[in-house]
Amino acid sequence: MRAPSDGTTLGSVSVTSATVPARPRWTERYGTWLLLAPGTLWMLLFLAVPMLMMVYVSFWTQKTFSIEPRLTLQSWINFFSSSTYVGALVTTVEIWAIVLFFTFILGYPTALYIGLFIRNKTTQTIVLVLCVVPFWTSFLIRVLAWRPMLGKEGAVNLLLLKLGLISHPIDVLLFTKVSVIIGMVQIYVVFMVGPVAVMLGRIDRSLIEAARDLGAGSWRIFRTIIFPLTLPGVAVGAIFVSVMVLGEFATSAALSGQKVNLLGNIIVTEVGSLKWAFAAVAGVVLTAVMGIVIAGLLRAVNLREEL
Amino acid sequence: MLEIRGVRKSYGAKRALDDLSLSVRPSEYLSLLGPSGSGKSTLLRIIAGFERADAGDIYLDGKPLTAKPAHERGVGFVSQGFALFPHLTVFDNVAFGLRFRQRNPVGAPAEVKRRVGEMLELVGLGELGGRQIAQLSGGQKQRVALARTLVVDPQICLLDEPLGALDANLRRRMTIELRRIHQRLGIIFIHVTGNEMEALAMGERVVVLDQGRVLQTDVPDTVYNRPASLQVARFLNRYNSFEHRELDGAPAAEGVCCIRRDLITVNEAGYRAAAPETAITATFVASEYSGSIIVYFFSLPSGKVVEVEYHLSHKRPEPLREGSSYALVWRTAQAMVFGSPKIAA
Repeated sequence: MRAPSDGTTLGSVSVTSATVPARPRWTERYGTWLLLAPGTLWMLLFLAVPMLMMVYVSFWTQKTFSIEPRLTLQSWINFFSSSTYVGALVTTVEIWAIVLFFTFILGYPTALYIGLFIRNKTTQTIVLVLCVVPFWTSFLIRVLAWRPMLGKEGAVNLLLLKLGLISHPIDVLLFTKVSVIIGMVQIYVVFMVGPVAVMLGRIDRSLIEAARDLGAGSWRIFRTIIFPLTLPGVAVGAIFVSVMVLGEFATSAALSGQKVNLLGNIIVTEVGSLKWAFAAVAGVVLTAVMGIVIAGLLRAVNLREEL
Repeated sequence: MLEIRGVRKSYGAKRALDDLSLSVRPSEYLSLLGPSGSGKSTLLRIIAGFERADAGDIYLDGKPLTAKPAHERGVGFVSQGFALFPHLTVFDNVAFGLRFRQRNPVGAPAEVKRRVGEMLELVGLGELGGRQIAQLSGGQKQRVALARTLVVDPQICLLDEPLGALDANLRRRMTIELRRIHQRLGIIFIHVTGNEMEALAMGERVVVLDQGRVLQTDVPDTVYNRPASLQVARFLNRYNSFEHRELDGAPAAEGVCCIRRDLITVNEAGYRAAAPETAITATFVASEYSGSIIVYFFSLPSGKVVEVEYHLSHKRPEPLREGSSYALVWRTAQAMVFGSPKIAA
């Protein structure tokens, strides 16, 4: 609070003595920094420092069961000269691309239905919540539940046989890349549906009416109006899916029968056998891949402007 | 010529349009005036083809429109919030209809450019084709919306509260612009508004709607000076209404007497009204000065407020004493008497 500083006189009493501006209190001065401190500290301690450590450790010297801080490029050379590890990198990128594609192909129409065709806001919310229901069971159970579905004598094969669509059970369904992709798409598709549905819900219906009034057909309205306006949602969904799929190891461990090795699996194995420097190399590579993917997605859609 | 015959529309139990008929002359500028919930927007949406009427038909130049979808009607619609495509430039917004309509789209970029350019010129936005929608002011958005609708040569242009989102200054400029554009194109404009002055200023004829029915269709002068019913007089916001027994020395007849605010003169209390005049005694409460006009507020013993308007260009404002009684006098012939006293508040 400040007193009037113009030296007004009330009657004959001068109030000029009250013109010294009150000093801002320390909470006002440092408030912003105080509010920022916990988050900054958290990010520094648990994100920035570990990441720098990981990069640092990747240059340490690996002994059989220990590492010592003598800097060397050996782990990096080993990583990029081994077909297993480079193969894992390629497989990771490949699985990521395929899973991202299918989450989009399956997720976008679902979101379109929820965000555009369900008029009632309450119904919309209920349906979105239903999409999240599978998350009420544990991740591992959701992944393992695919085994009795996809196996040689699993539900899918039995059903197809009963219907007479196939004469022999399909055996590429389980313990292959296909099963890993099916499992991942099922788990992560909802992360695409959510952001896109939210963006769709924000599109003003009068835009669609206007486009229709101007004579455009449904496909044209979708292509030129609706889809471009949901791109930020697609980008956010793609970032969610990408980050999770690139870091995956559990789905491939449970559904590929050790046949599909992702970078995540490499890290788990190396850490298990105390090959810290090597695990760090894989970790740095994985982080770099994620960084490139996210930067690319952000570049394609200017999120700051569109959200 | 647009003809609307016996259109009905209900939303659940609520009746939005009740057996409404209306005919609009070729190249007419028609104002649709009504309070919110009167059905004016519903009528517009039915003409545009966004909503389906429960019953009734619409004919354009003798051909039925009712079965046609919105984009085949030749009816353009400018919605209240403008509904511009936010991710496209001004040019691409206006070009949308030409490029992408299913029937007879314009493929040649040169032709699109020429027609969009002409239309932007017409609405006064010749230079702004490359702008993003977010960079426009309210008035400019309004013009883009208008250009986008008009560029595909509709036979009717429907405007849903086109001036509602603009500030007062801009509104006056846009009314002039709208009339100029209407004159240039010579097509039917139907302008929906809840503002009585806007309706009177814009329309060659004014249609007054309430509760899904047409109360009056006339030229602005007649609607203003001879409202067809008490409700119309109410919507105009320029009339005082009295039940007959409230008037000094009036016969105990049923009915409501309406007199325009600027037709009342203020006299000292005790003024005896002669035969061609009617008088009412009221207490002066306050006045409101707004440049060319001063409005005096009086109250009746019942608590009802009476407004008297003085145009300062031809009368000096009278110094009135707050709390004193005055006789409000008008010529009986200038007042209108309507039958249903129940509606008088």
